[in-house]
Amino acid sequence: MRYVLTKLGLFALTLWAAVTLNFILPRLMPGSPLDAALAKLASNGVPITNAQRKAIEVQLGSPHGSVVSQYWDYLGNIATFQFGRSYSDPTRTVAGSILRALPWTLLLVGITTILAFVLGTLLGVYAGWRRGTKADTSVTLGATLFAAFPPFWLGLLLLYVFAFKLDWFAIKGGYSEGLSPNWSPSFLNDAVQHSILPGLTLAVTTLSGWVFGMRNNMINTLGEDYVTFAEANGLHQRTIALRYAARNALLPNVTAFGLSLGAVLGGSVLVEGVFSYPGLGHLLFEAVTNHDYPLMQALFLVLTVSMLTAIFVVDLLYARLDPRVRRA
Amino acid sequence: MRTSLLIRSTAIATALACATLGLAACKGAGNGSGNGGAGVLTIQGDAGDPTLTENFNPFSTTQLEGTRLIYEPLEIPSSVDGTYTPFLATGFKTPSPTTLTYTLRSGVKWSDGKPFSAADVVFTFNLLKKNAALDTTGVWAQLASVTSSGNTVTMTLKSANVPFAATIAQVPIVPEHAWKSVGDAAKYTNTKPVGTGPFTLQKFAPTQYTLKKNGSYWNAKNIAPSQVRFPAQSSNQSTNQLDVTSGKFDWSYNFLPNVQKTFVARDKQHNKYWFPPGGTIALFLNLTKSPYDDPNFRLGLSYALNRDVIAKKAVNGYTDAASLSGLILPNLQKYLDPSLPNKGLVTQSTSDAMQAFAKAGYTLKGGKLTKGGKQASIKVEMPNNFSDWIAAATEMKSQLAKVGVTVTLDEPQYAQYEKDIQAGTFDAAFGGFGGTGNPYTDFNNALNGKYAAPVNTPTVNNFERFKDATVDSSLSKLAAATSTNTQMQATYELEQYMYRNQPMVLLYYGGSWGLFSTKHFTGWPSAQDAYMLPTTYNNAMLVIVSRLKKA
Repeated sequence: MRYVLTKLGLFALTLWAAVTLNFILPRLMPGSPLDAALAKLASNGVPITNAQRKAIEVQLGSPHGSVVSQYWDYLGNIATFQFGRSYSDPTRTVAGSILRALPWTLLLVGITTILAFVLGTLLGVYAGWRRGTKADTSVTLGATLFAAFPPFWLGLLLLYVFAFKLDWFAIKGGYSEGLSPNWSPSFLNDAVQHSILPGLTLAVTTLSGWVFGMRNNMINTLGEDYVTFAEANGLHQRTIALRYAARNALLPNVTAFGLSLGAVLGGSVLVEGVFSYPGLGHLLFEAVTNHDYPLMQALFLVLTVSMLTAIFVVDLLYARLDPRVRRA
Repeated sequence: MRTSLLIRSTAIATALACATLGLAACKGAGNGSGNGGAGVLTIQGDAGDPTLTENFNPFSTTQLEGTRLIYEPLEIPSSVDGTYTPFLATGFKTPSPTTLTYTLRSGVKWSDGKPFSAADVVFTFNLLKKNAALDTTGVWAQLASVTSSGNTVTMTLKSANVPFAATIAQVPIVPEHAWKSVGDAAKYTNTKPVGTGPFTLQKFAPTQYTLKKNGSYWNAKNIAPSQVRFPAQSSNQSTNQLDVTSGKFDWSYNFLPNVQKTFVARDKQHNKYWFPPGGTIALFLNLTKSPYDDPNFRLGLSYALNRDVIAKKAVNGYTDAASLSGLILPNLQKYLDPSLPNKGLVTQSTSDAMQAFAKAGYTLKGGKLTKGGKQASIKVEMPNNFSDWIAAATEMKSQLAKVGVTVTLDEPQYAQYEKDIQAGTFDAAFGGFGGTGNPYTDFNNALNGKYAAPVNTPTVNNFERFKDATVDSSLSKLAAATSTNTQMQATYELEQYMYRNQPMVLLYYGGSWGLFSTKHFTGWPSAQDAYMLPTTYNNAMLVIVSRLKKA
């Protein structure tokens, strides 16, 4: 019980520190939301005038009050889940933007993270078990190759070949233009079509990490005395690999998996950008470009909280799995 | 060996995924929103971030571009040379340099059936007066009052400013009956727009919105498209370029490298492009600093440059070196002072450059241009994502090195660049000059001494902080001119001043990147029929769409 309370206290302290950093960091960026709005117009080739600057200043309603009072407002708003309106577009609310993007990232990045973990771990077990063989070499080499691909580059390549040249998939978006998200089978089918290329990009580039981790853990575990003992007892090869070696080798990978699940909500800025996927990563990129402080803060908050929660849960799980941790 | 195997297996996996989900659907996803056939006009629309926000408020800076086909202004001046196309007004007169009178078109109806009247125009202008946030073009900085009588609207200006008619004429007019009850108009998203324009909103979806033809439009018989689609753009440039070259748009606006091969060759019969000059890219020197405030130093820089090479490096040679008159040629040819040598174009000459530098007190010693033992140096700022400006600046740097001037490039994020130039805390910066289609507006925005704010007070106009009494008097002369003769005279004076003093060192013309397909519609602007710049993000859209004919 004391263990849980200590962890809870730590959780609260880290959360406060993260929330505060979250307030400070966006404000340290050079330029203001107003400059960013003007920059956006100018890069379109619109000749900008002082009159426009003034009107946009009024429209955006830029930050009011001292930094201290902004900070108190900010803390109060977080406590009451009020995130206000975007600076870059006062016609939309921050919460609305996030809720619209959330499911897309949750499904795309969530499913690919789980898939990559399961597949990568299985491949790692296989490579570790057959260490030194041709099978091991091909898996390891293949994983190295894909690990070296920058995700956005692989994304562009897939886009060019399968969407542009072969026309099998749409070039961009989370669903066909003109549709509105709903639960009909035809829309779901459409959304799945659109998620294949970005999903593949993410899965392929994150797979390698799991493969390496699992393979190396396996090799370590296979050197343990109990494995030799099991072999000496004449246990079936597959039983030794899966039930004895892999189960123990899996522990560190589970921790990493917990953390990467926590990071799912951060989305994938680059891959979502390449595919114009309507997720949180893309939203974050736009928020940063537009100096949209409220949106940035809320997004970082979502990310931090989900990450801290994941760490907290992993900590609790560990205490359950390993009694030594509880006493420490 | 292994590499190819792995790539192939990826392809197989994708093909399998596609096959299991039904190949027909896979294909459909790619074509779902392609060219829609008879009467459908597809325009590459707004960038979604990541999806579109439904906003048809014509005064909002985040309005969807299609709003420009729903509402009409009084008139729209051509962004090429300022020629007016009338919409809600049939024409205007300037009885005095401070008065503009517009005669309104009769028989115009709002899309909800109610009649349009002069009261709507007066209401719209007063709406902007009450809500500073809506007045994005600053009409009330110039206007004193707007009144109507019958079908005439009279605008009274605070001071003589005839060319300001171009700005006034472009204010979108909204219906009084629908807008008088709107609370905070700056945050109003107007999701059921009622306008007088040729199109009305049909359907909004987060990645595409469509407009349908307004059957009761006053000019309905000349409007060719029955529907206009605006699929959202990607914010990723490479993705956009693939989307554009795949041929799904009738009209898009994109810079494409090697456009003949990447775009035209994909459908030689229909794919057309027109890349006219749309503004002048210039080296702005901070005129509050020495030696940049010395015209001789600026002329020295100017002579040392080979602008043709700079233009080629920057924009693939799509546009040319700039005329130092300050006019965009050939767009504004009719305003060009015939006494300027070679249309104001200057060729590179090291000896002329050295002469000018000598007048500024500089001498070339050991490959370094120095004055009082200090080498001439310039730190040039530009946004880090403007690859054309960076290419031009890199070329400029090597050209100026030959006359002993050190140039360093500073490439911050756009917002930082914008902040520095507005505050006047820069040495030199790349920037755009002109491009409004109206010489007065071009010159006034860049040179009017009243905009030259002190350093650290932000100003967008005249950020180089230029101040000169003769230029200010030429500008006021031009502002008050109601006859073509006086207009030309004052414009010539300004061109001469630009040519001889170069308040900013003009380099090359920035392009306007229009890509068209003549498969469904013809009548797009072109070098032969240059009625409007091919921009998809301003009032040009209404003029261009109204001139299309079915192919």
